Amino acid sequence: MNEGLYPDDDTLLAELSRVVDEIDRPPAGLVERVQFALALEDLDVEVARWERADALAGVRSTGQGTITFTVSDLTVMINLTKVGLGHRIDGWLVPEGEYGVEVRVAGHESATTTADDGGRFVLDQVPRGTTQIVVYIDGDSCRRTVVTPAVVL
Amino acid sequence: MTDARTAEADPPWEGLRGHDLYAACMHAARMGNRAAMDRLVAELTPLVWQVARGNGLDRHTAEDVVQTVWLALFRHLDRLADPRALAAWLITTTRREAQRVGARPSPVPLTDELAESVPSTQPAPEAEAVRGDRDRRLWQAFARLPQRCQELLRLTVLAGRAEYRLVADALRMPHGSIGPTRGRCLKTMRDLLEAQGGSA
Repeated sequence: MNEGLYPDDDTLLAELSRVVDEIDRPPAGLVERVQFALALEDLDVEVARWERADALAGVRSTGQGTITFTVSDLTVMINLTKVGLGHRIDGWLVPEGEYGVEVRVAGHESATTTADDGGRFVLDQVPRGTTQIVVYIDGDSCRRTVVTPAVVL
Repeated sequence: MTDARTAEADPPWEGLRGHDLYAACMHAARMGNRAAMDRLVAELTPLVWQVARGNGLDRHTAEDVVQTVWLALFRHLDRLADPRALAAWLITTTRREAQRVGARPSPVPLTDELAESVPSTQPAPEAEAVRGDRDRRLWQAFARLPQRCQELLRLTVLAGRAEYRLVADALRMPHGSIGPTRGRCLKTMRDLLEAQGGSA
């Protein structure tokens, strides 16, 4: 029966090509999110990974809840609360430090703040949309910039 | 898609393809030209995506890896002198990053994703339903292939499209062995399809 449907390898490859394209093409807006993530003044950055808790596995746009990003020795936790049309972001950096934090949202001005000596920061009224968090670490020995992937929040 | 650019003077890579396009864009990107970076991202994100997915990443993790790979490229652009090495660099970096974030080689998520995505793409009159069923079987057989086969076939699929002819060069395999390996992968896929056939 398969010989009937896919008589030769070219036919099978052509069908596979079509099915891969229909089922597994890149997500809508991915190119734009990459371009947004790259639109930084200085591209000498480390990229943090989004750690998904089991309950959120596979869920990208949570709307509310806690999201954790990590890169080597730094963890960035943010808690989102819907406020009107935007979000309130409660963040926590571990290890703690008075680092600069910038929240970039596509089509809006960046929101910036500085974490307190416990590593905590709060930003009110952050617009929803394609979002990237940038942490500026000014250590004794080095300056580093850590960014998250651009995600839709 | 080109609308946004028509108002400006044509960029120097306009009308170029393949390695020439990459060479012009990489040169401009090194000078800090953001439009050149955007053009490379638009051109080659499908390649990075297929490699990420072909190495066992779920769609969400794959999306993060795609972004990470592009940020890494532009951070290290000066180290990549030869534009002919660009596709190979993207493939290698994506594979490494996929391993780093712990790809899980399980066919189950693919099947779940399929259940979500297939019915929504098309309205389903009878003929569409039959084709949908056939496509589902094809995808399930594909998802059960070894990762090496999945990646090779995804890249073959891209290489079949004009703008991706160079992908074949980027595969880190001896040229003569790509054909036979692909043949074995397709044979395995036919066996998997055959095995499904009995149940329906």
